[in-house]
Amino acid sequence: MARPREIGKAGWGWTLFSGLVSLVYFFPVLWIVLTAFKTRTDALAVPAKFFFTPTLQNFINVFYRSSITAGASQATEFPLYFFNSIFVSGTSVALAIVLGTLAAYAFSRYPLRGNDTYLFIILTTRMMPPIVVIIPIFLMFRLTGLSGTYWGIILLYTAFNIPFSIWLVKSFFDELNPEIEDAARMDGANERRVFFGVCLPQVLAGLAATFVFGLILTWNEFLFALLLTGVETRTVPVAMARTMGGEVGVDYGLLAAIVTLFLVPIFIVTYLLQNQLLRGVTFGTVKK
Amino acid sequence: MAAASPHERMGSPRDAGGFFAWLMAPERRGPLLVAPAVIVLFVMNIFPLLWSFGLSFFNYRANRQDVPGFVGLRFYERVLNDPDVWDRFQTTAIIVGSSVILQLIVGFLLALMFAREFPLRRILLMLVLAPMMLSFVSVGVFFKLYYEPTFGLLSQFVSTFTGQPYVLLGTPMGAIMGIVVADAWMWSPFVMLLVLAGLVSVPKYLYEAAEIDRASWWRRFRTITFPYIKSLLLLAVLFRTIETFKLFDIVYIITEGGPGTATETIAVFTYRVAFQFFRTSQSSALAYIILFVVIVLTNLYLYAVKRREQEVA
Amino acid sequence: MTIALQKLTKRFGALTAVDAIDLEIGDGEVLCLLGPSGCGKTTTLRMIAGLEWATSGDVLLAGKRVNDLAPRDRNVAMSFQFYALYPSLTVAENLAYPLYGEGLGAAQIRTKVEQVARVLQLGPIMERKPGELAEGEKQRVAVGRSIIREPNCFLFDEPLSRLDVQLREEMRGEIKEVLQGLRRATVIVTHDQLEALTMADRIAVMRAGVIEQVATPHDIFQKPENLFVAGFIGTPAMNLIPAELTGFAADNVASFAVEGGQSLTIEVDPAVARLAPGAKVTLGVRPRNLEVVHEDVPDGLSSVIDMIEPMGAETLAHLNDGRHDIRVVTDWRTPLVERDQVHVRFLPGSVHVFDADEKVVRA
Ligand SMILES: Nc1ncnc2c1ncn2[C@@H]1O[C@H](COP(=O)(O)OP(=O)(O)OP(=O)(O)O)[C@@H](O)[C@H]1O
Ligand SMILES: [Mg+2]
Repeated sequence: MARPREIGKAGWGWTLFSGLVSLVYFFPVLWIVLTAFKTRTDALAVPAKFFFTPTLQNFINVFYRSSITAGASQATEFPLYFFNSIFVSGTSVALAIVLGTLAAYAFSRYPLRGNDTYLFIILTTRMMPPIVVIIPIFLMFRLTGLSGTYWGIILLYTAFNIPFSIWLVKSFFDELNPEIEDAARMDGANERRVFFGVCLPQVLAGLAATFVFGLILTWNEFLFALLLTGVETRTVPVAMARTMGGEVGVDYGLLAAIVTLFLVPIFIVTYLLQNQLLRGVTFGTVKK
Repeated sequence: MAAASPHERMGSPRDAGGFFAWLMAPERRGPLLVAPAVIVLFVMNIFPLLWSFGLSFFNYRANRQDVPGFVGLRFYERVLNDPDVWDRFQTTAIIVGSSVILQLIVGFLLALMFAREFPLRRILLMLVLAPMMLSFVSVGVFFKLYYEPTFGLLSQFVSTFTGQPYVLLGTPMGAIMGIVVADAWMWSPFVMLLVLAGLVSVPKYLYEAAEIDRASWWRRFRTITFPYIKSLLLLAVLFRTIETFKLFDIVYIITEGGPGTATETIAVFTYRVAFQFFRTSQSSALAYIILFVVIVLTNLYLYAVKRREQEVA
Repeated sequence: MTIALQKLTKRFGALTAVDAIDLEIGDGEVLCLLGPSGCGKTTTLRMIAGLEWATSGDVLLAGKRVNDLAPRDRNVAMSFQFYALYPSLTVAENLAYPLYGEGLGAAQIRTKVEQVARVLQLGPIMERKPGELAEGEKQRVAVGRSIIREPNCFLFDEPLSRLDVQLREEMRGEIKEVLQGLRRATVIVTHDQLEALTMADRIAVMRAGVIEQVATPHDIFQKPENLFVAGFIGTPAMNLIPAELTGFAADNVASFAVEGGQSLTIEVDPAVARLAPGAKVTLGVRPRNLEVVHEDVPDGLSSVIDMIEPMGAETLAHLNDGRHDIRVVTDWRTPLVERDQVHVRFLPGSVHVFDADEKVVRA
């Protein structure tokens, strides 16, 4: 008879089982990665090819397009879109975190009357479907000429990220031990020192996590970007969707290459933030 | 920073420290810190909402120049009496309902699988969490490829049995299923994450006690495990319901609402009313109805969050 | 139903938590596992229950080897160090929990629960959840849940550890009464010697995974086998004084040179005669077997009163001559003055002699 196993522990058998399940679950992603390394004919081959000669052509195509007429390769717009996505999400998330951290600190340490109501309204603006605000924003941007500009979309994404940042960063502030702050006050630190010298250093890891989650959310945003960016400011999701629209036949290899390029950072992030993931995806409302 | 005078009276700008000192008074610290964030939120969220609230009472079309006329509640009347709107709400409800249920089942099973300690657990967990971190657009693009009738994987798989290409997105039922599967695949890891948090928070000694007390698997689950995850399950359901209610990107890319309007969710419908038909006011009224639903759900969600926090404490 | 442990060993990586222990617990016997924190008591208990499997050695229940059986198949009852009450169930449901697997009817279960509730006086709290109970009540429920069934044996892990002194005394009585009614092999883990001395039929003293001595409470106290048991059992702890055997004044009367030059001539166990003069020994004497006198005596040592601690009916005096700290317990009426130069006399027959291997020298 088998030896009684410790509760909650499992062995390689379970690894094998979970490995199979995980692989099946992961398969759609895996297929994207495989597609990224296929030639155009291999990508659409019937029956589907699991074994093929890998090519890096798709990755090259993301950046260079060989033009038949000119005979020379020519840069694509994708580097611009990548830059746009990175610039727009990076700037707006950074801005949102600065503003959000100040507000989160206030909500956590100097609660106003009706604190919970404000927090509720703030969360509601995040839970709100983008379609609700997009109509007036579209009009507003048209009137002010913000449509298609970096400033417009950055400002919008900043607003988009503020509720999330407030809630997430507040959850980190709420966890700190207030006695440490009181001790600092006893030692003569003023409120500014308490914030910058005592509280902020303790939530740095949390801020980093917030930044990364904000980046992912913003990076993936589609609807605002679809309506409010122009040729110059277009982001990657919109560019991808437009590539889909081509009637001549969609270049899945190219799309797969784009997705694959971003799998690596996503994996790194998921791995590093595994302990904060729950909090991140629930906007700080569920900690443990 | 202005030096505070020893005779400083709080609350009056005329006192020694002047306006700045008044502004920095302790009781204004909270509002002051909150202000920048709130201003941005106001400009980019609240103000547009108020504007569109206003718009919903006027007859306005964004693609025309004529002066809008006041129509009162006529658009709300029209929207609420529009069978199309109810049809889209129904479609949304079906998609949200089936997707959330599917997410619950799959997420729950995955959580059970990962609740144990075993070699390589963290690595495998990453594989399962990956879909959640992808963008809706990538998921949409690739599921569209998988559903494609000639070279799509699904069709190829089915045709090995039937010998015929399989057009999943051709029927309303199939199209809804296609959307639901893509969305549930993407978000089951979210449910898993929440359930897993509940499962690992069950103290091990309770399972040991149950083992000593010779409890059956089912009794152990019902009396020990479930109480630790039920509040998280509720949170997961509400959160995913709110989020799936917004479903736009995947539909926009996979089916564009078709065939016909079979998969046109309320978000896609509103988008079309606003940006294809340019019935701006009508879409604003519609948006307000959506907002109302989301506010109710968010309220429920926060109530559930509060309850769980008390439970955990 | 008996329990037997044979060469039972548990290793956690490099750490040997339980080191080849042998132990037998007879039917109806109450054995206390006593030892300092981290010595492997809980681990031993968990191996008997099957919650931890043995690295080597055997666990026998009623003479049958059960190493490979899951806890549920060993049919043991156990109360956990930290109660392990089911938080979502009421007290009544917690008590009934072990009965569901027994195939009893609802009426039978109710009768049993009521019976246990009566014994442990749980009546008023039956409908409450564990979160709403005081420590003492939780402890009683935990004990109640473990005694409701009729298993092969009972295992209690520190059943009283988290109670305050008064509750602990009350519960000690209650548990003892309950155990006498049960007549099953029982193991109680504790690090409180008073608990062990009052509740056990026999005590096993553990240190660092090894059983140092198994004996009745009386013998553990009166006849410690080695230095560790001698020093561990009894409060205040036994005085242990390093010395050297110098010779014999008469049969069973030996002379010792205590470190620092003083000499001491006292009655000892006949077995001490086996030792050769010059042997290094440790003399053990309980604080209550010493007497403070003011004249120099051959069967005593001189020292200085360093500190006086009144303990009510008795007084604990710490004496220190610069080398040894000697504790003496006297009647509270004995006049003692700090800084006084005094002598302590060893009561006849009260000294334990331990050899260089820390083993007692006794016939
Ligand atoms: N699962 C484990 N993994 C590694 N080491 C362990 C484990 N369980 C116990 N130990 C170690 O084994 C030794 C014995 O632990 P055990 O819990 O049996 O002590 P104990 O006598 O019950 O102590 P206490 O009186 O504090 O409850 C300790 O050093 C402990 O750190
Ligand atoms: Mg222990």
